[in-house]
Amino acid sequence: MEIIQVSNLQKAYGENQVLRGIDFKAQAGEIIGVIGKNGAGKSTFLEILMTLKPYDNGNVLLFNKELTDLSTGQLEDTRKDISVVLQPTHFYKTLKVVELLKLFKAYYNSQVPIEQIITDFNLQPHRKKYFDKLSGGWKQIVSLAIAFLSEPKMLILDEPTTGLDPHMRNLLWTYITEYNKRTGGTVILTTHNMDEVELYCNKVMLLNEGINEVFDTIEGILSTGYKSINDFYLSKVSI
Amino acid sequence: MFATQLKYDLLMFSREIFYMVFTIIVPPMTYLFMGQLFGDAMYAGNLSYAETYTPSFILLITFGVIFFAFGFDQVMNRTTGVEKRINLSPVSKRTLLVSNILRSIIITSFGYFLVFFIGMIAYDLSFQPFNFIFAFVTFIGFNAALLVISSAIYSLFTSMNGALVFSIVIFQVVMFTGGFTMPIDMMPKFVQVIADFNPLYHMNQLFIAVWNGQFQIDNSTLQSIGFIIGCVLVSLFVLRFLNKARK
Ligand SMILES: Nc1ncnc2c1ncn2[C@@H]1O[C@H](COP(=O)(O)OP(=O)(O)OP(=O)(O)O)[C@@H](O)[C@H]1O
Ligand SMILES: [Mg+2]
Repeated sequence: MEIIQVSNLQKAYGENQVLRGIDFKAQAGEIIGVIGKNGAGKSTFLEILMTLKPYDNGNVLLFNKELTDLSTGQLEDTRKDISVVLQPTHFYKTLKVVELLKLFKAYYNSQVPIEQIITDFNLQPHRKKYFDKLSGGWKQIVSLAIAFLSEPKMLILDEPTTGLDPHMRNLLWTYITEYNKRTGGTVILTTHNMDEVELYCNKVMLLNEGINEVFDTIEGILSTGYKSINDFYLSKVSI
Repeated sequence: MFATQLKYDLLMFSREIFYMVFTIIVPPMTYLFMGQLFGDAMYAGNLSYAETYTPSFILLITFGVIFFAFGFDQVMNRTTGVEKRINLSPVSKRTLLVSNILRSIIITSFGYFLVFFIGMIAYDLSFQPFNFIFAFVTFIGFNAALLVISSAIYSLFTSMNGALVFSIVIFQVVMFTGGFTMPIDMMPKFVQVIADFNPLYHMNQLFIAVWNGQFQIDNSTLQSIGFIIGCVLVSLFVLRFLNKARK
């Protein structure tokens, strides 16, 4: 089943033409990594998929519905099926971690017990801290914990592992793969860590000069003679 | 979901020292302190200190709450990216807006009763049921007008620092030209001119009259009401225009 279908997507910020015609597809259950250099337009692309940003040209279908045709109410409904991590992420700064979890649990009408999320993400020592006072990595973890409060059809994560130490990074990937296996949910994420892409993703999209220069499975890319995805990236993208 | 939102909205207000200071700490203390100094003076309309300044300080608190905790708060959430994250959650804009409005009215009402209570204890303010009800209805009307006006003003800001500086300056301007400190007719001419363009000045005049059962329809009250309605209409127009432009 197709979850996302994007064709000829174009987006400019004033004179700066960032996306110049992207074609992209995601099937239910896939884990897709979006890679590209800083400023390539990855966040822009993801934020369009999150229904956050308008676009100039092309089509974006989420769950078989064209985004520009949706009313505000329909958009709010669509967002129930998507969980996100933004880059960078911000929450009400004067709420404590446990309060944020409770608030978002109410938004998502979630059945997941707060205490389980706190245990799973090792948040116990931080539960009474204000979001604003957490270190960058822990903010990221809270943001992830909130994303996993609901059981969405799709997860869109913008650099979820940036700033995490190796244990937390492993924990996050365990969570992502477990979610993906159990619910058959789709995961789209960006990262600058090519090893992660190689280990955990089914497919890769390389965003370069505003287009999807490569969009293929990991096996497909490695079978063309690259030693690793890192190798592939380095030879495809110039500084 | 609504109850949870409102609960946390109120909690966040109470944790924002800056809001607390400008709304429910400084104005009631100033009210108490000024009364110690000028408590025996008589004011326009043969009114005592408490009769003049109790409604004034209630209005000042209302202004502070709505401009800071409602208007400025919106700019803060918009510019720090909180709004973006919240928009992505399945909570409707209406829930957020209604909760925010209700929060403001709960806090301004708290201010209302706080000042009233101080007035009764410290300055023998009397309780007259009819005036009280009429005053409270007027107060809710002013709440609504200020909510619209502050929404329009703060929707023009794109930076938090700009909005913060504006808030602090406007608070001073409103204090001095709204008749919240000294009576306006004792002030220099230019202050009196500014006062005429300050909706809070007009609200203050009306509110004092209503509070003391002196309200009557005449040229000056009609002018005041007209000016306030004008400000609200301009604000609604600005909001509509900006909403369209954002789409
Ligand atoms: N809101 C905005 N207004 C104007 N220009 C923007 C805006 N957001 C992004 N850009 C520009 O669009 C381009 C792509 O930015 P984007 O954030 O999508 O890149 P990215 O691939 O996510 O980069 P990174 O790897 O550093 O996160 C950049 O040139 C950036 O300056
Ligand atoms: Mg990015």
